[in-house]
Amino acid sequence: MNSWIPQKSLIFMLIALGLITLPHSQHLPLPLFLFFGLLWSWRFIAIWKPEWLPGKTTVFLLMLTAIGLLYSQHQGILGRAGGTSLFVIALGLKLLEIRGTRDIYLIVFLGFIVAATEFLYQQSIIMAVYIVLVCIVLLATLITINGLHAKIRPTLKKAGIIVLQAIPIAAIIFVLFPRIEAPRFKWLEAEKNQITGLSDTLEPGAISELGLSPELVFRVKFEGDIPPPAERYWRGPVFSYTDGKRWRESPNRFFKRYMDTPRFKGKAYHYTLLMEPQNKPWVFALEMPARFEAPLQRNGFYQLTTTKDPAQRAEYNITSYTQFNTGYLTKTELKDTLQLPGKPSERIVKLVKQLGGFDLKPEQFIANLFNYFRQEKFFYTLMPKKMEDNPIETFLFDRRYGFCSHYATAFVYLMRIADIPARVIGGYQGGEFNEAGNFLEVRQANAHAWTEVWLQGKGWTRFDPTTAIAPERVEQTLDIEQQIATRTLTIVPPEILHQSMDWLKRAKQILGSVDYSWQRWIINYNRASQQGIFKHLGIEDLKSIIYWLLVLVGTATLIMARFILKHKAQPVDPAVKLYHQFCQKIPDITRKPGETPYSFAARCRQAYPKHAETIDRITQLFVKIRYYPNSPKEMLEYLKKQVDHFSCT
Amino acid sequence: MNETVLSLKQRFALSRFMRGEKPANGALTLNQRRIFILPTRQGGGFIVLIILLLLIALTYNNNLIYLLAFMLASVFFITILHTYQSLAGLVVKPLQTQAAFTGEKAGFSFSIQNPSDQERFDIQLKLETETLLDIPPHHHEKVLLFKSTKKRGKLQAGTLTVSSCYPLGLFRAWSPLRFKMEALVYPAPATVFSVFPESEGFEGENGQSKKGGDDFYGLQSYQPGDPIRQIHWKSYAKGQGLFSKHYGGNAVADLWLDYNQTPGHDVEQRLSHLCRWIIEAEKIGLHYGLILPNKKIPCNHGPSHQHACLEALALF
Repeated sequence: MNSWIPQKSLIFMLIALGLITLPHSQHLPLPLFLFFGLLWSWRFIAIWKPEWLPGKTTVFLLMLTAIGLLYSQHQGILGRAGGTSLFVIALGLKLLEIRGTRDIYLIVFLGFIVAATEFLYQQSIIMAVYIVLVCIVLLATLITINGLHAKIRPTLKKAGIIVLQAIPIAAIIFVLFPRIEAPRFKWLEAEKNQITGLSDTLEPGAISELGLSPELVFRVKFEGDIPPPAERYWRGPVFSYTDGKRWRESPNRFFKRYMDTPRFKGKAYHYTLLMEPQNKPWVFALEMPARFEAPLQRNGFYQLTTTKDPAQRAEYNITSYTQFNTGYLTKTELKDTLQLPGKPSERIVKLVKQLGGFDLKPEQFIANLFNYFRQEKFFYTLMPKKMEDNPIETFLFDRRYGFCSHYATAFVYLMRIADIPARVIGGYQGGEFNEAGNFLEVRQANAHAWTEVWLQGKGWTRFDPTTAIAPERVEQTLDIEQQIATRTLTIVPPEILHQSMDWLKRAKQILGSVDYSWQRWIINYNRASQQGIFKHLGIEDLKSIIYWLLVLVGTATLIMARFILKHKAQPVDPAVKLYHQFCQKIPDITRKPGETPYSFAARCRQAYPKHAETIDRITQLFVKIRYYPNSPKEMLEYLKKQVDHFSCT
Repeated sequence: MNETVLSLKQRFALSRFMRGEKPANGALTLNQRRIFILPTRQGGGFIVLIILLLLIALTYNNNLIYLLAFMLASVFFITILHTYQSLAGLVVKPLQTQAAFTGEKAGFSFSIQNPSDQERFDIQLKLETETLLDIPPHHHEKVLLFKSTKKRGKLQAGTLTVSSCYPLGLFRAWSPLRFKMEALVYPAPATVFSVFPESEGFEGENGQSKKGGDDFYGLQSYQPGDPIRQIHWKSYAKGQGLFSKHYGGNAVADLWLDYNQTPGHDVEQRLSHLCRWIIEAEKIGLHYGLILPNKKIPCNHGPSHQHACLEALALF
C-alpha cells in the first residue's frame, strides 16, 4: 500500500461523507454539525491547497474543541445522541489526518457507522434507499484506491453492481439471522421523540382549536370483511372522573376481578393492527376486542394496553365483535360512572326533567336528548370559543358550538344527573381505506370522543352524541387534508369518493401501501415473526438455522458465481475450423502445437509433393483470412470448397 | 495448457500457495487451480466493522442496521468472487532474460495477456522488483522484472507472483507462477584492472614476430589493430587514454586471454580478471580470444563474441 492518495479518491470520499452526514443535520446539535461542516470543508479545499492542512498543534486544538463541544452538548458519549455525535466528530477530525490508504479505509469504515446511526432516527424506506446509494459511493471510494485508473462512471457502476449482487444474500441472512431480544440498558435508551397522541385527560372547554394532524396513528389490515364506517370505533382511554371541567380516567382498578364476562354476538372481525410509535401504551382496538395475544392486556375499561415499549412500532393480531353485552355492573363502576363534581345547577336539572330524565326509561331519555341536540341550535365546529367557567353549562345554554368532546361530556353529565351510569370514551373513529394496500389508515385527525351508557340487560352501550349533530362525521370518510386547509369539518361525499381518486391520491395510496409493507416486514420483523417463518420451514434449533443459512447462502453464492465468473465463449473462427479439417485430412503428419501453418505446409509438401500446390493454396488462403481483417466472405467459401475437395489419396 | 492432475497431498502442500507449482515451460493461464485468495488487513477491519454494526443493531433492536450489516457482510462475500475475477483468465508467458554480472540485477521479461472483455486494474507482478499495471481488454503488456544475483552461473527466475486487490482491497488474490526460465550471471568484473597479458606463448596466427619494429618514435593515439604489446599502459592506467608506442614497424596482434596466466588466488578471482579483460578489450575494439582449461574461443570481437566469452566464464 502506498501512501499516495489519488485526488479522485478524496473527492469521492468527501462527497460520500457529506451525503451521509447531511440527514444528521435534523437531529445533531447545531454547533456539532457546524463543527463537522467546518472540518469537512477544510479538507475539501485542501484537496487543491494541501499546504492549508492543519499541523499537529492545530489538530490537537481542534480535538480539544471537539471534546468541549461534545461535553457541552451531551454531557457524555453514551446513548443514541451522544454516540452519534461522537462518531460524526471523530470522522471530521480523522479527515484532516490522512496519511495513507489505511486512513482512507478507517474513514470509510467510520462513514458506514455514521450511516448506520441515521437509522436510529429515521427508518423510512426513502432513508434506506438514500443510505444504500451513499454506501455505493463509499464503496466506489475503495475502488478508486485499488483501481487507480478506473474512470468515474465505471467505478460507480462496479460499486453498484457489487451492492446489487449483495442484496439476495443480505436478504437471506436478514430472515434467518437469529434475533435475540437484547437486554435494555437504561443509558442506551433513545430519548423519547415528540410523539403526539391522545391525552389522558379531556378538557373540551380549554381548547379553542382542535389539532388536526394527518400523522398516522395505526393501520389495520382485516382478514375478510371490513366493518362499515359507522362501526369503526377504535377504543382508547375511558374518562369516568370529572371535576366539572376536566375528565380523567378512574383511578380504581381492583374491580376488574368482579366484572362479568362479556358475551359477543354477530360477526367476528379478525385483523392485524400496526401501531406507529406512541407515547402511551394504548392499543386502539375495534370495539369490542374479544381475543388478543400477549403482550396485550385488557383493563377494566375494556381498553387494550401493551406491556412493550410503545415508542417502538408493533403489530398485534386481534379479534373484535361489534355486537356485545358486557353484563352486570360492579359497585365500583357504578360509583365511578355516577360521579358528579358537585350539586348540579337548577337550570340543568330543569333540562333533564324536561327531557324526561327522571321518569322515562333511559333509552327514551337518550332519544329525547339526541332530538334536543338536533332541534335546538347546536352546531359542530372544530374552532369553538374557550369555555373556562362551568364549561358544560356554558356549552349547553350559551355557546352551543363545539366538537365531539363537548357533546360527549355534556351528554354524560346529563345522564349522570338522571342517575344513569355513563362515561366518556376517547379514541379514534373511522379511517381511510387504502385500496392499493387493502388496509385502513387511521390518523390523528380521526381522534374522537363518544359515550357509553350502562343499560339494564344490555350492559355498556355506545352512544355517540356527535351523530346527532353531524352524522356525516361518523358515517362517512373525513377529508383530512381539506379539513386541515379549511379548518372545518369536511367529508368526502360518497359518490365522489371513487371518482375523485385522481392520480395524486392513487399515488399517495400506493406509497402508503408500500410503506405499510415496509413497516410490517422490514422494520417490524422481530423474534415473533421469525419464529413464525421458522415454524413454516421446520426450523427448531440453532443447528438447523445454521444449516439453512449455509445451504441458502451457498446456493445464492453459486448462482452469483455463475453470474460473475461467466466466461464469454470465444466464438470459434470458421476458418480455424476448416483449417483443422484440412490438417486432419493429411495422413501420417500431425500439426505440432504452436507450429505455424507455413512450416506445417512445408512438411506436408515434402511428404506429398503431388499435392504441394493445393496445400500451399489452402495454407495461404487460411493465413489471409485469419490474419487480415475484413477479408471478403467469398474467400471463406472458397476455402471451404478447397478443404472439402482436398484429399491426399 | 500443461496441466497435470495433482494428488491430494500436492494440492494442499503449503509451497503451492507461496512458491507455486513445478516450473512450467510455456504460458500459464491463471485459473482456480493457481489463484488463491485471503482477506487483507483492511478485510479484517471490515469484519470488525460488521461486528460493530451488529452490536449497535442488537442494542437498539434496529432492523435497518441489521440489514446494513448483512449487506456489508454480503458485499464482503461477493468481493471474493470479484477479486478472483480480477486475475482469472490472465495468461502469463515467459519471454527473454537479461544476463547480469554477479551483484547486479538480472532481468526477466514476461508478457501478460488479458483475453477477456473486462479491463484488469492494478495487477501487481512481483519477482524481486515489482510493477503495477492495468491491462485493457484483449491486450497484452510486457513487463521486465529484476532479481539480484549473488553467484555466477544460471539464475532461475523463481516465483513470479501475480496479485490484485481490486476492487475493494478487502481481499488479495495471488497466483505464484514458476517458469523454466534462467538468466546467465557472469562473474563480477575485477575492480582492479591489471595489464593485459603478453601473449608470449602464442604467436599470432598471422605469424607476427615477438617484437615490433626497432626504433621507437613516439606515442600515438591507439588505433584498432594496434598490437597490445605496444600499448602504453602507464598513460592508460593514469586515465589519460589509450596510446600505442609506435616503433618503426607495424603489426596487428591478437590478445589471448588465458585462464592459466591470469592473476588471482582462486577460480573466482581469475574469472573476475578475465571478465574485466573481456569488457575492456571489447570496449577498445581488440581482437581477443579466450582460453579456459576446458574451452577455447578463437579470437574475434563484437557483442555476440563478447557474450560467448562471458557465457563461458559464467558456466565455467
